[in-house]
Amino acid sequence: MDDAQAARAARAARLVQVALRCYPARWRRRHGDEAAELAALLIRDGAPPRSIAFSYLAGATRAWLTPRPVRRLSAAACALLAAMCLLGVSAGLLTSAWPARAASTSQPSQSQSQSQATKASPRPHCEPVPDVTGATSHPQVIIQAATHDRSC
Amino acid sequence: MAVGRRDGEAGPDVLRRAGEASVLILVSLAGGAKHGYALIQDIKELAGVELGPGTLYGALDRLERLGLIEPLPAEDRRHPYRITVPGAAALRVHLDSVERVSAAGRLRLQLGGI
Repeated sequence: MDDAQAARAARAARLVQVALRCYPARWRRRHGDEAAELAALLIRDGAPPRSIAFSYLAGATRAWLTPRPVRRLSAAACALLAAMCLLGVSAGLLTSAWPARAASTSQPSQSQSQSQATKASPRPHCEPVPDVTGATSHPQVIIQAATHDRSC
Repeated sequence: MAVGRRDGEAGPDVLRRAGEASVLILVSLAGGAKHGYALIQDIKELAGVELGPGTLYGALDRLERLGLIEPLPAEDRRHPYRITVPGAAALRVHLDSVERVSAAGRLRLQLGGI
């Protein structure tokens, strides 16, 4: 009789141990010992070991399915970082693309481009505008040449 | 007689969807700090409900995450918990809400002569 009881108790303890092993490691580190002791106390009070094991199994399922706040925070941080990277890359591309495009259109010398423009198509709206401000006309002509290439 | 939500009066009822186990644990902890086994025994005496240990730990984790309870230093292998000030406030709001619904229900039963 005592042997049978001992065997039953051992089987119950094993069943509970198996159920407790289903919990995430962080949960086991925190509650594992106490949960095993609690199960032993409940079994001693007459609770069926199967129902205790089943309760722990259901709890383990919930523990795996419940998102941890840290995980949620790290996901948000990753999303923020990715958004910032995307913004940085696109801003970098924009700033690097504009001067390059302008430079590529203004590569030929001013006189060369002017002569080409007058030879190819003498369109008055594409000619450089004279500088009325009195400032140096160099950058203004370059910009207009670039505009000319794009619009015409 | 309409029983509407009056959450605006004393803050939202955060325990509305927390489940029965969470409310029972808070009620039990309102009487003093307890560990898992003592909680199960107290709730059994208080409400006639036998909480499964898996349900108990799930509710304890949830309540702790919400800041409604806090763990005390471990005694041997047992971790006692106590109710926090926000936890007590949340329990009060929830019990008020339940009380209003209960009073309205009794009144309707009385008026209906059921």
